[in-house]
Amino acid sequence: MYQEHAFPHLVGVMSMHETAENPSSSSVWDAAGSAFRRWRDGDQRALDDLVRLMSPVLWHVVRATGLEREPSEDVVQSTWLAMVRSADRISDPQAVSGWLCTTARREAWRTRKQSTRSTPVEDDALEFRLPSPDSPESTVVLDDEHRTLWSALSRLNERCQRLLRIVATEQRPDYTRIAADLQMPVGSIGPTRGRCLDKLRAELNRTGGAR
Amino acid sequence: MNAVPTDDELLASIRDLFEVVDPPPADLADGVLAALAAADLELEYELLTLVESTGVPNGVRSADTGSDTDSGPWTLEYSSDTCHLLVRVSTVDGTRRIDGWVVPAVPMAVSLSPVGSSGVTAQETQVDDHGRFEFTAPGSGQARLSFVPAAGDDPTAPRPFATPPFLV
Repeated sequence: MYQEHAFPHLVGVMSMHETAENPSSSSVWDAAGSAFRRWRDGDQRALDDLVRLMSPVLWHVVRATGLEREPSEDVVQSTWLAMVRSADRISDPQAVSGWLCTTARREAWRTRKQSTRSTPVEDDALEFRLPSPDSPESTVVLDDEHRTLWSALSRLNERCQRLLRIVATEQRPDYTRIAADLQMPVGSIGPTRGRCLDKLRAELNRTGGAR
Repeated sequence: MNAVPTDDELLASIRDLFEVVDPPPADLADGVLAALAAADLELEYELLTLVESTGVPNGVRSADTGSDTDSGPWTLEYSSDTCHLLVRVSTVDGTRRIDGWVVPAVPMAVSLSPVGSSGVTAQETQVDDHGRFEFTAPGSGQARLSFVPAAGDDPTAPRPFATPPFLV
């Protein structure tokens, strides 16, 4: 069964089913690998590059677990500290992005578990809800396309919302670990993802969003 | 978006959506870098201890304007179990310069890095045969020096070491 670690040691980051990547995200991973290599070769500035490049990515990875904004910032920070401490265990520089994402997600889950310990709800892993686009919490002004998408997403069940945010966020989702995190059989992630996307397409279609 | 978006198009739209509705805090990376500046040196580098300083200006950052030609030179002396470092910061014709002398005088790369929002320009040089090095146009602000001895077979070569932040 899935074991909690404060920080994972170097973990395999090969995903079982890599999705097609858009070119920009792929180049982010490449740039991260090259910055990591330069940093390991002694170039201190490269660490700054790496942090500026990957922190926004890690932010979304952490937020996708449903963690609040403030603790999410702490998790991103401790993820970087973990990387600095474990740098010699990351043998392949190209794997650094995967390592960072995995570490951030693990740490986010650990933090969530601690903060929700007082309310032992079995399904608290699924406690994730998009605010309504019209609610006061959404202070961002969305364009029509985003608003339509958000409405459609918010009509899906929570598991779908969570899973879609995770797989959309992580360019190379590691299904084994996502399955452990979401307490789903690994074999069901792919089909569930497909079903969730189908539902989303249906919602968009129904509301005329899929123009 | 076309008539029926593909899975990848949908996921890309979702990613875009969350970048808009849930952007990271503007200072996220700066916060990380500040935390790392405090922590990583101790882990990756042996951190030198300031043992003596003379003439260091009181202001945290007296030099942002770059026109304070009147600030005199100051010296900082650092040491660890294996290394000793003397740094002299002076101003010549309105331009800062850093002169350093490190013992043992083994081949190593010296990096000058800005700390925080500093006017210091990151740069790198080599220690000469006598353990001396210089930065003739470092800029000014908070900075630190880190030393990486040339990788070789010399078992007596020190491991990488660095200073705490100091004012240039």
